Amino acid sequence: MKKRIEDFAKLENEGADTLPSAERRRFLRLGLTVTGVFAGGTVLSLTSSRPARGALVGGEMLRKDPYKPHYSMVIREDRCIDCQRCMDACVKTNDVPEYGYRTTILERELEVGPGEKQREFMPVLCNHCNRPPCVRVCPTKATYKDEKTGIVMMHYEKCIGCKTCMAACPYNARYFNEEKRAIDKCNFCFDTRLSKGEKLTACAAACPADVRIFGDIADPDSRVYKLVHEPTRVVWVLRPETGAMPNVFYTKG
Amino acid sequence: MKKVLCIGVAALVAGLVLHFGPAGFAEEEQEHGGDIIFTKPVKAVLFSHQTHIDQGLECDSCHDDPFEMAAGTAEENGDFTMEALYQGKYCGTCHDGETAFASNTRCAVCHIGVKGYNRLYKLSGEEGEGGHGE
Repeated sequence: MKKRIEDFAKLENEGADTLPSAERRRFLRLGLTVTGVFAGGTVLSLTSSRPARGALVGGEMLRKDPYKPHYSMVIREDRCIDCQRCMDACVKTNDVPEYGYRTTILERELEVGPGEKQREFMPVLCNHCNRPPCVRVCPTKATYKDEKTGIVMMHYEKCIGCKTCMAACPYNARYFNEEKRAIDKCNFCFDTRLSKGEKLTACAAACPADVRIFGDIADPDSRVYKLVHEPTRVVWVLRPETGAMPNVFYTKG
Repeated sequence: MKKVLCIGVAALVAGLVLHFGPAGFAEEEQEHGGDIIFTKPVKAVLFSHQTHIDQGLECDSCHDDPFEMAAGTAEENGDFTMEALYQGKYCGTCHDGETAFASNTRCAVCHIGVKGYNRLYKLSGEEGEGGHGE
């Protein structure tokens, strides 16, 4: 399990040529242009493409975020310094046991010149997918996609602990909570913060480097919307080939 | 008891000296300050004296201004922040985008994070590297 998520840290850009055209079209529909593929399509690099979208559908807006608010996170990964304040804040806010995590930070080395390497940290968490594989496989509907916010949540009392969702999750974002006798996961701090009027998740609020930008991607005035739609900005998601359509985006700068 | 403690401290110091010597921190180079690990305000930043000496810098390039000789002085000042660096203090004296890369770029060159800190001190981190320190 653990190995799988750490593979993210080893990915390299393989160019956009290997991407199936169906995949390309799907992201075009989202208003994003493919600029590169990492590790056989495991990470897709995207950039916002209003002109391309306009050409494709005759100027009609096709992108529609189905939830209101549609919670999303943009991670500016080159700014992460692995201070782990996000992880500490998450543990404290959501009472996460030490054998599990709702968010963690991966580390990788990028080649920046001949024999020259540079460290980079990569925060990961539940991607609150539009088509969450975990929800699809749950036999008891214990995990579900909240109809209002799009957050992937848990009915702890319905969970039978079969761990099928853990196996299905492309992001390794679930753990079995011994105390609750149920699977547990990130819910964008919905119960602990958002439902109480807070605007940010604990991790986003705790970040000293402005790495985790959290907000409503259906709102054109939000920072997340603006970052993802900035014309020259390269944005990517993890494991697009699963068709999960994640709501956690990555970028640099 | 006291003797045991002394030996323990000596062993620890020796261990650290050996550990911080990837670029040949051997007998002849012991005059300089080795690696400094800052843990405040965030964990952790690695300053390598060796790397900076290799750039041709002298002791008085940075001591006693912007940095006091005594390790840890900057951290106790309370203004040892990125904001101060952007204003040209501390590392920002050179890391301004002209003399050296700007302080608001290439974050993880200096920031080794909790992972880097745990590796240096051989703490068992989440990656399960090594056991607990001696």
